[in-house]
Amino acid sequence: MRLYVKARSFLRNLFLTERVEQDLGLEVHSHLQLLIDENLRAGMSRQEAQRAARMELGGAEQVKQQVRERRLGESLHSWITDCRFGARQLYKNPGFTLTVVLTLALSVGANTAIFSLVNALLLKRLPYAHPERIGTLYEHVTSSRGSFDFRTGVDGEKWELLRDNTPALISAVSGSTSGVNLKAGSRVQYVRNNRVSARYFDVLAVQPIRGRNFSEDEDRPNGPKVAILTYGLWQNVFNADPGIVGQTILLRSEPYLVVGVLPQNAITPSNADVFTPLQPSRSGEGSGSNFTAVTRLRDGMTWQEADAQINRAWSSLGQEFEKNSSGAKVTYYSVPLQKGVTDWLRPQVLGLMLAAGFILLIACGNLAALTLMRMLRRTSEVATRLALGASSWQIQRQFWVENLLLALLGGAVAIGVGFLALRGLFLLLPPRFLPVASVSLDARVMTFTMIVSVLTSVLFGMFPALVVRRVDLRSSMDGRGAVRAGGIRTRQSLIVGEVALTVVLLSGSGLLIRSLIHLETLPPGFNPTGVMVAKASLDDVRYHDPVAFRRLLDESTAAMRQIPGVVNAAVGLSLPYEGTLNDGVRIRDGQEAGAQAGTDLIYVTPGYFEVLQMPLLAGRFFTDADGPDTQHVAVVNQSFARKFYSGTNPVGRYINKDTMIVGEVADVPLSSSLFPIAPLMVEQTMYIPSAQVPGTYLGLIHVWFQPDWVVRTAGPVAGLTAEMQSALAKADPNLPASGFYRMKDLLTRTLATQRIEVALLGAMAALALLLSTVGIFALVANMVAQRTREIGIRMALGSTVGRVMLQIGRSGVSASLAGVVLGLALSAGALRVMTSVIYGVGVYDVTTIFVVVLTISAVTLLATVLPALRIASIDPARTLREE
Amino acid sequence: MSLSPEPSALLQGTLDLLILKSLASGELHGLSISRRIQQITGGTFVVKPGSLFPALHRMEEEGWTSSFWGGSENNRRAKYYRLTKAGRKQLEAESKRWSRISWAIAQALEVS
Repeated sequence: MRLYVKARSFLRNLFLTERVEQDLGLEVHSHLQLLIDENLRAGMSRQEAQRAARMELGGAEQVKQQVRERRLGESLHSWITDCRFGARQLYKNPGFTLTVVLTLALSVGANTAIFSLVNALLLKRLPYAHPERIGTLYEHVTSSRGSFDFRTGVDGEKWELLRDNTPALISAVSGSTSGVNLKAGSRVQYVRNNRVSARYFDVLAVQPIRGRNFSEDEDRPNGPKVAILTYGLWQNVFNADPGIVGQTILLRSEPYLVVGVLPQNAITPSNADVFTPLQPSRSGEGSGSNFTAVTRLRDGMTWQEADAQINRAWSSLGQEFEKNSSGAKVTYYSVPLQKGVTDWLRPQVLGLMLAAGFILLIACGNLAALTLMRMLRRTSEVATRLALGASSWQIQRQFWVENLLLALLGGAVAIGVGFLALRGLFLLLPPRFLPVASVSLDARVMTFTMIVSVLTSVLFGMFPALVVRRVDLRSSMDGRGAVRAGGIRTRQSLIVGEVALTVVLLSGSGLLIRSLIHLETLPPGFNPTGVMVAKASLDDVRYHDPVAFRRLLDESTAAMRQIPGVVNAAVGLSLPYEGTLNDGVRIRDGQEAGAQAGTDLIYVTPGYFEVLQMPLLAGRFFTDADGPDTQHVAVVNQSFARKFYSGTNPVGRYINKDTMIVGEVADVPLSSSLFPIAPLMVEQTMYIPSAQVPGTYLGLIHVWFQPDWVVRTAGPVAGLTAEMQSALAKADPNLPASGFYRMKDLLTRTLATQRIEVALLGAMAALALLLSTVGIFALVANMVAQRTREIGIRMALGSTVGRVMLQIGRSGVSASLAGVVLGLALSAGALRVMTSVIYGVGVYDVTTIFVVVLTISAVTLLATVLPALRIASIDPARTLREE
Repeated sequence: MSLSPEPSALLQGTLDLLILKSLASGELHGLSISRRIQQITGGTFVVKPGSLFPALHRMEEEGWTSSFWGGSENNRRAKYYRLTKAGRKQLEAESKRWSRISWAIAQALEVS
């Protein structure tokens, strides 16, 4: 019963506040009247009676306040009132509210976007059962040059040792994922095929929903050709045909038997469309480290036990490594699969988080200054409330509530900003760039956003809260507000910090921009204009036959030369700016005689060098005379000659069994797979005629690389790509081109990471610059507003506008200058972490520093002069009159 | 004695008891309650509006009293309070408790 009464009172107090207040007012008023009556009856005069009654009452408002404070639901009510009041205050000051919300939204939004990446790549657990039991293998190499950790590449021998000698693990390996042509009925489709060993899906704990997994028998060399489809492929191409298991499809023009279909939401590290058995052996693909391993820890085993077994299994290989690399030691260890797949991105993403953190700090600086200014403007309101009996805590709480409202609003908009930023980012990224299927704003990201927003508002809200405590009642109530020199100093130090962080971000992006420019403007070594490229997949059983392969190349290039406007046509396994095949080479003479080394290897048709207009430095190019039965020849590049023959003329020298070098060409930049120290670099390269490619290679290299058909045109040719496609079709009607590119496109593809780094860090540096500029502007503008009276007096006393502007502006300029110095000092240390991602420039690059200082100086000047211009419009006479 | 704006729990309980007692014999408005308490305590307790009103409103929210607007002497409108059934029970319980406490303290003070 009592609970019911209390609840009713609670609700009544909350929702019928006006009526309750009215009632209370009437009651107190009536009490006063009764007191007066009592006094009158006691014989006092009317005046005395009233005075005595008022004294006994003790102040109607105070009494009412006492009742209010003890009212049921009062705390909730006061919170709601604070919120309503706060919201109204924010609404009445749209400039302030908008600036704060926008600043919060942009800075927190940047953090949201980056954190989504961190979340998707590093935090979210892989969508497999027990992801902590799935791992991959890393090796730790210690040598005289330091120690390195990287993911282990596995060859056939290593795989067999791993599979047979590590009972603690279920192991599997996978090969590359390549594009192949799928023919089902009359449909031809370009699909992605990943080749995996038998227990691959066991490791991932993915069970086919139809059919079965691969068997060990199907995974042996020359075993049967079977395939497992993904759910998506089954739906789209085969219309979810329930009888799919047992049917035959054509992959690479070979028949494959479908044995299974994966579940709907199965995710694999490669995200391929169809899986076929890897059938690893120690030869062919298995002779090099071309496989990657995934492992699953068996129940009851630990990773330590597994690592011990791995190192024992590979101990002989480790010893061989040590022998070959003069004292370097190698140990192997397991690493969670998540890390293995996303490791290469980790430093970038964490760097971006740091940059986003900087932006947040800069935003905090601005927001603190903004709120400080606003609080100083409201001191008269504060003083009045204190006089009316509000406690210091109540007033502080009001401000905290306003900050909270701003934080929530800012956080909500930040989520929108983050969403847009992510969308923009994905437009920049090439497809399948990231090793995760998608990056979304899930619950964790949104919670993060709100927490960051609230923390930021707490940070910048603390400033004014400290001010409230020291409000001097009298001077504040006369509406002038205290002109506090201390406030200016604080704000100047905020500006110093902001500018310093901006300098660091600008320098960082400057270095990245210069790196990118360096990479994009590497001397090409050929003529990239007027060239069109078509790629096609030759991963097809028909082209394992050298005769058919040669015929295809001859006929297709001949057909392309017939296209009107085309000057020349050729084919090459890879082109400049692309990733290249590498192979072993044995040097037979010269000072490196007997050496076994690695080199890049490219097969080309005669005319390749002419189409690209690569300069011939010595000897000759290939001709049609270089055929399968004539002397095996090769053309090498300058780096090859320099590395193996000390730069002397390599023509006439012999390599491998009996290959003679007949020519030397200039270097072209490519994406190295031998020793990648930069995304684009020059390396020793060996070219051989396509007619002389060993038959055994054909089956292999086209799994990894799609060859390029290049044509050179005299001028722009309309419909060139369609013509190239039909020329290709003349030689083989079942060979669709997988894409058409200009040389610039290939360059862009290879430098995708660098371009994204520049875009992201550049955007954040620009945001930081904007925020700092706004901060400086606000500081100077505020000084002008606060010191209007002083300026008026100065000018009345004879100072010129120019001199006053200088004096006022100096505060902004000196803060900015100090910030630049601090920022350069910070950069000297901080930017050193970037040495591994910048190319062609040093960390202490003078040009970059110069440009950064120039930029900051320019914006500082702008941000200081513009508000100071207002001084010119100050009328000294009027300000003096306002005394 | 005029009670401070923040009475301790003991003082608050005492005030509640006195208000309940003063309403035991009938309905009264705020001023009358104050005067009655003054009277029945022989002038010891003078309850100022600053303490009376919060107490009255709180007790009404607790369900021990209920209020209504009525006419007073001189035909002034005033807010009257009366005891509810729960209020009477509370009065009884509080009275008993107070007797026990005061007896215990008296005993303690007798001991030398």
